[in-house]
Amino acid sequence: MKQINIILCGIGGEGLVLMSNIIGETCRLAGENVISGEMHGLAQRSGSVIVHMRMGDEVLSPLIPPGEADVIVSLEIMEALRYLYYLKPGGTVITNKRLVHPPGETHELVMGKVEKYVEYEGVLEAIKSTDAEVVEVNALSLAKKAGEVRAQNVVLLGALSAALSGSIPEKSFMDAVEETVPKKAVESNLKAFELGIDAYES
Amino acid sequence: MSFKDVIDEEERDAYMLCNEAIVRAALEADVQLVSFYPGAPQTEILDNFEKAASKYDFKIEVAANEKVALETVAGAAMLGKRSLTSMKSVGTNVASDALYTLAYTGLKGGCLCLIADDPHAHSSQSEQDGRWFGLTAYLPMLEPSTPKEAMEMVKKGFELSEEFGTLVLIRTTTRVNHQSGIVPLGPMNRTPFEKVSWKEMKRPYTSVGELARKGKREMLDRMEKIRKKMARSSLNRVEYFDGKELKDKGGDGEKLGVVTAGVSYCYTVEALARLELPAKILKLGVINPMAEEMIVDFCEGLDKVVIVEELSPYMEDVVRRSVKDIEIYGKRTGHFSEALEYDIPSVLEGLSAVAGVEPPFDHKEHCKEMKKLAEILPQRLPVFCAGCPHRATFWSLRRAVGDPDSVFFANDIGCYSMMCLPPVEWSDTLLCMGASMGVAAGVQYIAKEKTIAVVGDSTFFHAALPGIVNLVHNEDDVTIFVLDNAVTAMTGQQSHPGNEKKAGGREGKKLDIRSVLEGLGVEKIYDISSYEVKDNIPIIKEALEHEGVSAVISHGECALYHYRNYRRGGGKLVPYFIDLETCESVHACVLNFMCPAISVMPEEKGKARIHQDICVGCGVCSKLCPKGAIRSTATIYGGDNKPVYTVEDYEKYVEKKEAEG
Repeated sequence: MKQINIILCGIGGEGLVLMSNIIGETCRLAGENVISGEMHGLAQRSGSVIVHMRMGDEVLSPLIPPGEADVIVSLEIMEALRYLYYLKPGGTVITNKRLVHPPGETHELVMGKVEKYVEYEGVLEAIKSTDAEVVEVNALSLAKKAGEVRAQNVVLLGALSAALSGSIPEKSFMDAVEETVPKKAVESNLKAFELGIDAYES
Repeated sequence: MSFKDVIDEEERDAYMLCNEAIVRAALEADVQLVSFYPGAPQTEILDNFEKAASKYDFKIEVAANEKVALETVAGAAMLGKRSLTSMKSVGTNVASDALYTLAYTGLKGGCLCLIADDPHAHSSQSEQDGRWFGLTAYLPMLEPSTPKEAMEMVKKGFELSEEFGTLVLIRTTTRVNHQSGIVPLGPMNRTPFEKVSWKEMKRPYTSVGELARKGKREMLDRMEKIRKKMARSSLNRVEYFDGKELKDKGGDGEKLGVVTAGVSYCYTVEALARLELPAKILKLGVINPMAEEMIVDFCEGLDKVVIVEELSPYMEDVVRRSVKDIEIYGKRTGHFSEALEYDIPSVLEGLSAVAGVEPPFDHKEHCKEMKKLAEILPQRLPVFCAGCPHRATFWSLRRAVGDPDSVFFANDIGCYSMMCLPPVEWSDTLLCMGASMGVAAGVQYIAKEKTIAVVGDSTFFHAALPGIVNLVHNEDDVTIFVLDNAVTAMTGQQSHPGNEKKAGGREGKKLDIRSVLEGLGVEKIYDISSYEVKDNIPIIKEALEHEGVSAVISHGECALYHYRNYRRGGGKLVPYFIDLETCESVHACVLNFMCPAISVMPEEKGKARIHQDICVGCGVCSKLCPKGAIRSTATIYGGDNKPVYTVEDYEKYVEKKEAEG
């Protein structure tokens, strides 16, 4: 398979590592080579988190060079912009329709050090000012619809699978979701996954 | 990737984190005793062994520190059992006293010590290069590049250790430990755990004076034998990148060579691919003793050799010593940096400069534009979690102290280290485990200000005790703060000697911190509950006013640990909420508090709001609010003493209220 590079990003504690595990398992099931590089430890405490996922026969390194990611999947839009420099020219950004203000920003706002909060539209505009193709997914509402509020990551995974449909079979993704999430949450997670596919395609 | 792959009996391919693959390999190799102190980037090795302990019969300890862990596994190896420990880079400094002498005594059984370095200091206080331990301690050291290689090297390491009767070191870096990939699962050849007779294998493991001099000679002989054996080890290999693909032979007549190891090897191959640059590659897996003959052979016929390795020019200097009449490029020529971790672009830059070719894509220029766009973003730094007892303790401490410049604040290693980062930036020192006590001892002699030393509970047992003994004996004037949150929180809430659980969740003996301090002779000891933020201020003031050694033990379980157990036990989280009619935008809940669950609403004159999906209901913010505008959602339903309502209930309530207008 031709090389595919994916950046997953978001905020510590949001389920990014589970997401990367599902993608890794997907590749194993599809018989594709896969490598990921992730950060644990200090960065988990509500800090900015990034995982590098790489697939294809010739990949060897756990880090994607800046400007070479095919897709950025972000659980929070500020993090999509923060790591946008990893995206290749004309690459795809799949972002959750959600912005979370860091506690430090709130502190600065209250102290009068910044005039106003950074808002969703402004961040979206900055991303769109590049040649990136942007897909927004309201993962929270779709996860709720699927009956599992914590499955926002799996909704976005569904959207990612739609973006990769030419390279990795959807079936492998679904099998990997089934293998990776807790038994009782399989049904709702698969539902969340499908809603994510629909969201990408519409 | 999941724990089930670590213990799966089926021989198949699995997608695994390197740290999981290491555990899997050790289990396949019939490891009988393991002991660790947690620390990034190697903590998942302990975590996975803890889980595996319920299925397989081996002994496991969470040790008080790395030195104890190494001594423990050495003890098992003296009786011929396979044993393993791992430690983060700086943990090896703690263990090194035992490490250096174990090289003299040798060992009977297979014994591995994994040293996990952290180039870039992602979660460490330095970029220490652990390879020097192998060289200076005269111990063999292997270095894998990928999870698959790590798996092979753990198994080879045990064999090597047994063949030569020596401790074997395995060196990894963060990007190897936290790399996931496809690994083949082998057969699980476990034997039942059983005791053996010391009498039957008795021999001295002693080293002093004449014994040490004898041990030194034996150690040198042993290393010489290992050098001969490993000179042509298959763990070292020559490959050829022909400009398009990587081959395991060929390249005769090629004039450019690269010597590399670890994750730098991965970057090298991909950088060559992007440059379409042919080169021979010597990939070293044995980094002590270095295969000097192989290096000499490799360089034969080359015009240029480049050494690609992170941190110090460890391999480069060996190449410079071994090879003459050839151009040698690396850190000494300024083509590569001794600082930070590498990646494909940094290796590409160095290689293209040496080869005199243009890089195909300007990664730096691309970054510049994109990073400029991101300048509108606020930083998202790690903060204390919602419900963290440290946030509460430091709030009280700050108020008790008044002006932060009126004290010398010696901080230590743990979640509370974050106090030194922006935007708080309140710490005068942060060196290493337990250092707060020793530093405070020196400072209190000289500084006019009061000296305080802060330490967590796990760090207290790990390395602070001798420092406290020293403070007490010398009658120093320091106030100690012990933050007792029940676990080693930063690394993922592992147990420690102050917790009633030991490794694998089994019942152990809990050491009481107050009793320890009393036993050490600390005169004034105050126990406080972290969350009683206002009541704690006068108590802390009293402790600070005491002349001599005083201690404040702040009790409050790590929020991640506490609320996880609470939920597993059937408890439901009861978040707090802001009563918008009462809130007057005083922002006592925001200033110097920085709870991730609290933000403000610009459209409502800056009134605060509490995110119901993040708040765990510790209630500290409600104690700070002078207007009484923060209340538990439990109050909506019938009183604080009935914490049975869920986030979902609360959301339904809000939806209903909104519908009612």
